[in-house]
Amino acid sequence: MWGQVKQALYQSTTRFVTRLASLVPGFVALFLALLISLLLAWIVGMVVRRLLSSMRFDERVSRWGFSSLAEWSPQNSPTLLVSGTMACAIVAAGFLIGIAAFNSDLTSSLVRSIFAYVPNVMGAIVVLAVGAVVARYVARSVLIGAVNLNLGYARLLSVGTRWLVMVLTIAMALVHLRIAVGIVELAFGILFGGIVFALALAVGLGSKDMVTKSLERDAKRTPADTVDEPLRHL
Amino acid sequence: MEVDSVPQQAVQDLGQIDSADLVVGIVADLSQEDVAEVCSALRTLPGSPRIVVLQNRLASDSTPTGSAALAQDSSLSLIPWALPTQSSPMTPVEGMLAAYQSILTIGERLGVRGCCVIASKLEHAPSKWVCQLTAPLLEASCDFIAPSYARRKFEGLLNSSIISPLTRSLYGLRIQNPMGPDLGVSQKLLQKLLEREQNGKTGASGMHLLASLVPLVLCGNLQVSQAYLGARSYPPGDWTTVSSLLSEILGPIFLAMEKNAACWQRTRTSSPVKALNEPVSAPQTTGTVEIDRLVNSFQLGIRDLQEIWGLILPPASLWELRKLARLPIEQFHIPDELWVRIIYDFALAHRLRTINRDHLLRSLTPLYLGWVASYARELETAEENAIEHRLERLSLAYEIGKPYLVSRWRWPDRFNP
Repeated sequence: MWGQVKQALYQSTTRFVTRLASLVPGFVALFLALLISLLLAWIVGMVVRRLLSSMRFDERVSRWGFSSLAEWSPQNSPTLLVSGTMACAIVAAGFLIGIAAFNSDLTSSLVRSIFAYVPNVMGAIVVLAVGAVVARYVARSVLIGAVNLNLGYARLLSVGTRWLVMVLTIAMALVHLRIAVGIVELAFGILFGGIVFALALAVGLGSKDMVTKSLERDAKRTPADTVDEPLRHL
Repeated sequence: MEVDSVPQQAVQDLGQIDSADLVVGIVADLSQEDVAEVCSALRTLPGSPRIVVLQNRLASDSTPTGSAALAQDSSLSLIPWALPTQSSPMTPVEGMLAAYQSILTIGERLGVRGCCVIASKLEHAPSKWVCQLTAPLLEASCDFIAPSYARRKFEGLLNSSIISPLTRSLYGLRIQNPMGPDLGVSQKLLQKLLEREQNGKTGASGMHLLASLVPLVLCGNLQVSQAYLGARSYPPGDWTTVSSLLSEILGPIFLAMEKNAACWQRTRTSSPVKALNEPVSAPQTTGTVEIDRLVNSFQLGIRDLQEIWGLILPPASLWELRKLARLPIEQFHIPDELWVRIIYDFALAHRLRTINRDHLLRSLTPLYLGWVASYARELETAEENAIEHRLERLSLAYEIGKPYLVSRWRWPDRFNP
């Protein structure tokens, strides 16, 4: 009986060691893939950084109207953001290549599903980027227009508009990523409606006196008053 | 220039006319009597030139022309013509500018020696001054005749504060109204204007044409004169449209600056232009300027637009503006040097596309209203002489500040005080 126990133990140890040994090439491949991708990422990152610096990319980005990109960048430098993103992409690709080297069904399906998800991620990134640019443009238009109309709550309107566009953008990106679609739709509806309601309340209550005064002034104004202003700009 | 810019009815009426010496476009809404007088005055021009008068009439207006008999004359043809504003959703300014394009197109088609546009209602009957705008063109002694109106302190403020002194500083020509609206152009200048537009292919508006006039005159070594036309009648102003005006007018001026940078950077001093007649004075208008409202607009801008102005203006200018916003209204005053630097910095930001160009120009509105408040406070009780002195001082500040513009234009990154 002891012999049978010894044999069973020996066989299980052998199976375990064999399976472990079969994983070693995979681990080595993963390690090598990571090492090579890190090296490649460092080289590519450095080349891209130097190239963009020589092109004065940071200034150009700001000149092209994407100055908010600097706010999201490490050390406020879009050059570092772009070179860092490229380096990270290379490391991620190396990691996936290394994972695929295990050649097991699990890793293959993992890699397949990750690659199948990449277009969604890219799409969401594009939606977010476009949304951020549109939000800033619209917010700036509202701010300048409201200030030129002498509205005291110009900044509030502008911030509210920016958040409306950003909430819409984030909801669209999350739906694109297929993350909790039902919750996102519900939350988006509540948030969007909430912001509109809050803005309407804030503007309505805040400017109640102003609107009353304005209406009273218009009602009392005679035709002679309207031409009294002697300023002629054109 | 596109043929489509000429109204179809005018094209049909023009079909019988092969050529002319002079085209006079009446964009202003003149009475039939005034139009008849203009035609009579034009007939007195020496040399019996063949003249085409394009008269602005409402499309729905079916009353016969008061000068119908004149229209049949062999030397003068009067063609009724509907401005685009009556049939399309254009602003009055856009409609008027489209009219300039049409008049110049017709002038080119008829091979005229000169083209004249009457765009203002003046207090003197146009028959008294229309010959001043046309005769030198026919004599080929002048290529561009700019108008000069009797100064009234609160009229033509955009021109007084930016357009005229900026033109003087850039191109070295002391013209009171570089962009008309009443003006005369010779065949040579007309061809240059149209060539530029055909080469540009940018679908330039009439405003671009007006903004190109002085640069073309200076860079093409053409002759310019100024005709004193008396006091101009302005329609009542609407302060809510100031930002649109700034965007529509300053955009083409800054674009023209960009296109002619090599030319204006060589100009160091300014000189007066030849006057065709004696200046005319006019009584000052009455009315109270709401300085409080203008200063409030400026202060609101300082509160909310600093983030945007921070991208356009250097820190020193921003600091000075913040200081001004804290002053009581009785002491509110924007120094000329600061105002000049602001305009130059906006021109530079327009060139560099620091922010969207429409945003940039519209964000100038509170600063402009601040300048208007400062100017109004200073000149509230001033006489005509004082206005001239005040505007001369501003023009000189523009000239003195030009090296700042040239330095920033050439080295926007390195020269940033």
